[in-house]
Amino acid sequence: MEHVYLVCYDISDQKRWRKIYKTMKGYGAWLQLSVFQCRLNKEDLLKMTDTLTEIMHCDEDNLIIIDIGVAETVSFKVASYGRPFQPIKHSAVVI
Amino acid sequence: MNHTAPLIPVRIVNEYVYCPRLAYMMWVQGEFAHSADTVEGKIRHKRVDKPGGRHPETAGEDTGEIHARSVALSSEHLGITAKIDLVEGQGRKVQPVDYKKGKRPHVAAGAYAPERVQVCAQGLLLREHGFEAGSGILYFAGSRERVRVEFDEALVAETTRAIEGLRTDSAKDKPPPPLMDSPKCARCSLIGICLPDEIGFLAQQREDIRPIYVRTENAFPLYVQSPASYVRKDGGQLVIEEKREKIAEVRLKDTSQVVLFGYCGMSTPALHECFRRQLPVTYMSYGGWFIGHGMGTGHHNVQTRTAQYRASFNEQTCLNLAAGLIQAKIQNCRTLLRRNWKASDDAGDKAPPQLLGALKSDMQQAGRAVSVQTLLGVEGSAARRYFEHFVFMISPQKNEETQGFDFSGRNRRPPRDPVNALLSFAYAMLVREWTVALSAVGLDPYRGFYHQMRFGRPALSLDMMEPFRPLVADSTVITAINNGEVSKKDFITTAFGCNLSPRGRKAFIAAFERRLSQEVTHPVFGYRLSYRRLFEVQARLLIRYLTGEVKEYPTFVTR
Ligand code: SF4
Repeated sequence: MEHVYLVCYDISDQKRWRKIYKTMKGYGAWLQLSVFQCRLNKEDLLKMTDTLTEIMHCDEDNLIIIDIGVAETVSFKVASYGRPFQPIKHSAVVI
Repeated sequence: MNHTAPLIPVRIVNEYVYCPRLAYMMWVQGEFAHSADTVEGKIRHKRVDKPGGRHPETAGEDTGEIHARSVALSSEHLGITAKIDLVEGQGRKVQPVDYKKGKRPHVAAGAYAPERVQVCAQGLLLREHGFEAGSGILYFAGSRERVRVEFDEALVAETTRAIEGLRTDSAKDKPPPPLMDSPKCARCSLIGICLPDEIGFLAQQREDIRPIYVRTENAFPLYVQSPASYVRKDGGQLVIEEKREKIAEVRLKDTSQVVLFGYCGMSTPALHECFRRQLPVTYMSYGGWFIGHGMGTGHHNVQTRTAQYRASFNEQTCLNLAAGLIQAKIQNCRTLLRRNWKASDDAGDKAPPQLLGALKSDMQQAGRAVSVQTLLGVEGSAARRYFEHFVFMISPQKNEETQGFDFSGRNRRPPRDPVNALLSFAYAMLVREWTVALSAVGLDPYRGFYHQMRFGRPALSLDMMEPFRPLVADSTVITAINNGEVSKKDFITTAFGCNLSPRGRKAFIAAFERRLSQEVTHPVFGYRLSYRRLFEVQARLLIRYLTGEVKEYPTFVTR
């Protein structure tokens, strides 16, 4: 079962920040500077957390993962100004 | 004791005590499904598995303290092998420590039988190597508790019995039957492969089926058909470019397969990553010819293929399967006509009863066919009947508006009109989808039962898709036309035939995908699932039929 997560991080080193950003692109949609929106099952959450905590330095950096709820059923209100906010939807991609 | 038999890892012995069928599928058939548990286990092991400390190869004079991580031991005599998380002790007196995630269960014996047997097997290995191991420890990381397990006579006997039982089972060519009504199945990572309730149902051992294994799909295909596009890998994503400009990106974790049309390119790193993740990559021509596909190292289940080949030499089995599939196809064609009949001048607003009657008798004849030859004849006349009336499922308005969809029968290679072009394309998409589904479960798509005579084509895919031609391919064609998703301007007609334009192809693939995601009720088992999941279930049921675990292959018909 998938949950929606908000992943936010503070990384004090540019190089590590890039690494984290790149890793996160594989797990979710970029929202803001250091904020991602993700839709993950338990396995992906474990893998993501493992990779992130291996890159970051626990004494200098910070990582917050907020569980918003079950992806299929959760409804959350988002006010977004400037850029529109789009929840993650899974479907086939035809290009 | 057979010394050529491979050594059994003790974690498989653990699975055997949990369920003998599970151990068989993992050990003999090489089945493996990732679950949160296995991922967590792997991450934990990655961190524990840094070999360190002293290696107690064999007990020696040394009386020093022992604290060794990740110790690999095996014994030909016991026939098992293990990687022990931790061995601790003093001199010759040691105990194996096995890390478990989660909390200590509150049961009388301190832990469940599979874990106790597993650590005891590790103890036996240590004894075999000259140590004295009177007990072991299960360390439950979730509650940070150590549970001592005494290797008393009863446990040692249970462990030896389990190793022996597993060895005997492994020599058989069929897995042990599934557990009946067991709560263990709900927690089993191989439930979608094992199909315990479905098999129980088909063997008439149970009435209702828990649709617990039907998991929602979280990953979907990526189709790249736009000419001159290129797929490359960027971290955990696939990036699609056109003329070196990024036009789209998809996350690999949300992708189930990649389909490339025409000369779309894909970089080798992207291809490697797909193979590493066991994502199939298939190639099709622009016109929809299935050119080929790849999928990493493929499936390890040789036993499944052996059963498939063996059955394919048995004429009666071939005929039974073929007759069932063709009968189901005719029945589904009939249902499609009945449901989608459109009013028009020269026909009423209901499918003519004579037509439905004729198709019904075709169906019955197919079921009774005494040879593949007669079956081919019945199939041919049913198909003629069906395609003669196919046009009545297309809305007359659309037909007039576009003046393009007059259709008087099937023609192919090359298709000469838009409807035939769509049908050919849809069948090619369906062959591809089945080829991927069959390869993924370990069957050989090229060895069929009905289509066996036609050389060089994925015969089993063609067999298995028969009942789904009307339900998935034809129905998508009708819907796409009637909804106006494709119209006459989406086709390019030349002296060489009629083909979809890139825009038309894109719209049609989207319609086809929508159809595959639509949920239907399984007529035998009664639960709902998408067509795509249904293909997988049908493919796995075919395996169960071929290995003799169920008496009949349940074909899919819709009501
Ligand atoms: S689903 Fe049930 S019967 Fe099948 S392997 Fe798992 S535990 Fe055994």
